Amino acid sequence: MKAPFWTTRRRDALTGYLFITPQLIGVVVFVLVPVGLAVWYSLNDWNIFRGELTFVGGENWAALLDDPQLPSVLGATAVFSGGVVVLNISLGLALAVMLNRRFRGVTVFRTMFFSPVVVSVVAWTLVWGFLLQDNGGINAALSVVGIDGTNWLQNGNTAMVAVIVTQVIRSVGVNMVLFLAALQGVPGELYEAARIDGAGDAAIFRRITLPLISPTLLLTAIITIVGALQAFAQIAVLTQGGPGLSTTVLVYYVFQQAFEFNDIGYGSTLALMLLTFVMLLTLLQWQLRRKWVFHEN
Amino acid sequence: MRTDLARRIVLVVALTVLAIPFVIPTVWMIASSVKPLAEIFQSPPTLFTSSPTFEAYAEAFRFQPFARQYVNSVYIAVVVTVITLVVSSMAGYAFARIRFPGSNALFLVVLVGLLVPSEVTIVPLFQMFTEAGMVNTHWPLILVTALAAPCVLATFIMRQFFIALPGELEEAARLDGLGRPAIWARIALPLAKPALSAVTILTFLASWNLYLEPTVYLTSPELFTLPQALTRFTDAYGGEMWNTQLAAATMTVVPVLIVFVIAQRQFVEGLAHAGLKG
Amino acid sequence: MTTATRLGAAMLAAAIGLTAAGCSADSTGSDDTSSTPAAAGSVDLRMTVWTSNEDQLALFDSIAESYRAEHPEIGSITFESLPFADYNTTLTTQIAGGNAPDLAWMGDLSEDLISSDALVPLTEKLQDTEGWNYDDLLDSVTAEFSDGDELYAYPFSNSPFALYVNTDLLAQAGQTLPADGLTWEDVSTIGAAVNAATGKGGFVLRDFDYASWNVLGTVWPGWGAAAWSEDGTECTFDSPEMTEAFRFLHDAAFVDGSMPGPGTTADFFAGDSAFTVAQVSRASLLDGSFAYDVVPLPEGPAGEYSVIGQAGVGVLSSSDHVEEATDFLAYLTNPENAALLAQYFPPPRESLLTGEALAANNPKLTAEQLQTVVVDRIPDAVTLPNHANPAEIAQKGKTALDAMWTADADVEAVLGSVCDAIQPLLSR
Repeated sequence: MKAPFWTTRRRDALTGYLFITPQLIGVVVFVLVPVGLAVWYSLNDWNIFRGELTFVGGENWAALLDDPQLPSVLGATAVFSGGVVVLNISLGLALAVMLNRRFRGVTVFRTMFFSPVVVSVVAWTLVWGFLLQDNGGINAALSVVGIDGTNWLQNGNTAMVAVIVTQVIRSVGVNMVLFLAALQGVPGELYEAARIDGAGDAAIFRRITLPLISPTLLLTAIITIVGALQAFAQIAVLTQGGPGLSTTVLVYYVFQQAFEFNDIGYGSTLALMLLTFVMLLTLLQWQLRRKWVFHEN
Repeated sequence: MRTDLARRIVLVVALTVLAIPFVIPTVWMIASSVKPLAEIFQSPPTLFTSSPTFEAYAEAFRFQPFARQYVNSVYIAVVVTVITLVVSSMAGYAFARIRFPGSNALFLVVLVGLLVPSEVTIVPLFQMFTEAGMVNTHWPLILVTALAAPCVLATFIMRQFFIALPGELEEAARLDGLGRPAIWARIALPLAKPALSAVTILTFLASWNLYLEPTVYLTSPELFTLPQALTRFTDAYGGEMWNTQLAAATMTVVPVLIVFVIAQRQFVEGLAHAGLKG
Repeated sequence: MTTATRLGAAMLAAAIGLTAAGCSADSTGSDDTSSTPAAAGSVDLRMTVWTSNEDQLALFDSIAESYRAEHPEIGSITFESLPFADYNTTLTTQIAGGNAPDLAWMGDLSEDLISSDALVPLTEKLQDTEGWNYDDLLDSVTAEFSDGDELYAYPFSNSPFALYVNTDLLAQAGQTLPADGLTWEDVSTIGAAVNAATGKGGFVLRDFDYASWNVLGTVWPGWGAAAWSEDGTECTFDSPEMTEAFRFLHDAAFVDGSMPGPGTTADFFAGDSAFTVAQVSRASLLDGSFAYDVVPLPEGPAGEYSVIGQAGVGVLSSSDHVEEATDFLAYLTNPENAALLAQYFPPPRESLLTGEALAANNPKLTAEQLQTVVVDRIPDAVTLPNHANPAEIAQKGKTALDAMWTADADVEAVLGSVCDAIQPLLSR
């Protein structure tokens, strides 16, 4: 008797392939193919009005080096992403620790901190644009307590602080909830054992909590960095990249080059540079995870 | 005991102060949407007006096909969420529970979809959709969101969840003669409610908040989605119609907020129990 | 489109079970219209506009309707209303995507379109059209839409900038306008007085918002300054005249308090400021909640001047129906229809430019106001700065000019940096 071709193992494998097919096609068609096309565009000069594509080789890539605006754009991107990630993760963790206990009103607080997540980015940013005006609500509130507020969006440094803070307030709820989940996964016995050993709060947090939630820390770090590098609506609505180039992050610069100045070749080149950054950062984190992520399964 | 109470009070006060910037913008937006135009920029600013008017709400519907745009946003988000739930739970299940050659390598390929910023792909995608005759339709918004980046995050979440699922249940089902698709549908999915609700929330919000994509793909106001429509409340010369914008923004936020407050336990617990442990 | 894009599109189409060929059906079957008369109802025309005003759109529809009555080959004429703020971006995206309209309104995009041969030349067609009366067009309004003697877009709207005055606020502050010879100095003095007395803003340059510096082109001609040389190749932001003009603006914002500073929204039409500079067509925003006057722009040190903001309408050469679209354009802009359009848009035709004619349809302004502010001003008016590659020049200029809007700015140095930023774009 011949064994049937469709063994359980083979049938399983076929099901596996079929199950992942839609997702795989999505990634190939809507991500990998476009990345390939972006590489091709970056080697061309494209006159939109004439519909002419001219092969220019490495010219767009060489233009990166000659772009007088690029250093400030990269600087703003680093400050913005770094600021958002650090603030978002530390605030998210702090909120989670504060809300990871039972007391009356804890649900109300969780709801309040999470609520901006469900407000659309554009509506959120529009409102902050009002509040941050020189004659807006924030300065009015500050003047009540005797502080003479500054003109937030008209100064490069405060404008950057403003876009970082509004972005963090809007999105920290997600990280807060992810951390809450992680904290609830830490077995209570570990805390009790540590307390019996006479460890203080700080020591417990550092020695027990942090290592145990480090996998979540890695996940949130990746999600937050990717999100920060793609923050477009905030910038477009709140500052349009100004004043000067102070809040022109790479994503916004790509949009300007490709869709406002109609320089698709150079826009694609910039976008690919952005992709390289994201890849390198993720790779770096992935490599470093062995050092600081406690258990890896 | 006393120190405990003192601590608790300090905690609540600290949380209350921290909550101000999270809550006030929404309150201010709703309160200002019923102010007469001249009062929005009154100095010193008011929080609540003494002479509320709902004129701006009517104007929002007169000025743009706002109801239509509302329907667009809702139906696109729903369709995207449903597709994503199916696609990601299948893929996540396969990557987590089924052994097949190349599964790890293919999972890495899929993960790349999470890392590529949409700005890299938007220009080529625009050209591709142009060639396919799909510009100024909702197809790009649905297909890309439901199958690319947000869906990859969902697949990732689903995989993490299914990995943690005990294997005995499947073995039992297998002995009962169920095949893989049946196990997925009848055993795994019902257990995956927390993860599915997390995916629902994240995907719905990702679609609801899309801004760059509709800006690029859509040109007809009756096809616009809400975030895009919100920035279009400008008069014929680009002057902002502030109160109309605020009224429209309020209408986009309040229903979602109400749903959220009602379902907040499921929202937060769903995310919390999705088994997101890295 | 490139082979690579086609490949991508094919994969996309295959992935979702569509055939690419089936989707492009609407662009076929119309290539032969130039040689043989088109079948009845076979030609659909689309024109992009940035107005969403229902009355204006209704007027366009009614003109299109009467044109269709005479031309059976026309199936439909649609007016697609794109938002003003993103008009250029949306239009270029349509063009890039191969989905260009047949006709389009255009503002500062005209130079790019003309230099890329994207517009159909109009002069011959309009001159040959019976009764169109080409010589009726004023030279001062056709220049921006011409290349040499060839006209590429019909300047249907030529709206002069004027000074709107909130006379209620002036009265509250005990101020009056000088009987004649109003200067920018007067405006600044009165504005500062209103600001001091009422807390409201002095003068506001509408839509400037310390970002769209193009709008400052309504002020600096008073000092004899210009953004760049007439041929558009030399930046002249660093000229002594421009420096003086910007000193005036800078002082107004940071020394005299006569212009609301950056980050302060003051809407004249909501009663927040004493003066505003805006186009005459904005008179529709006056809601009668305060008493107002509308006067010509103030004089600067270099004397009297006037500025118009223009919009043109042209035919895209990528259209499948160039001939029909051009014919419709000639109909839309013939003397009878031009008179109808003049209700909303100050016309380019000398014969239509009289105070009474304009006042007949403009309830907010008197015939006398329209005569002095519009009719007398159009023939000698300059336009706002206009150049190929407008978006990039605007952005680079803004980035440099942002440094101007702080109290301790070095006006001369900032203007020098503006030239450093935009000169490479001008000489490209």
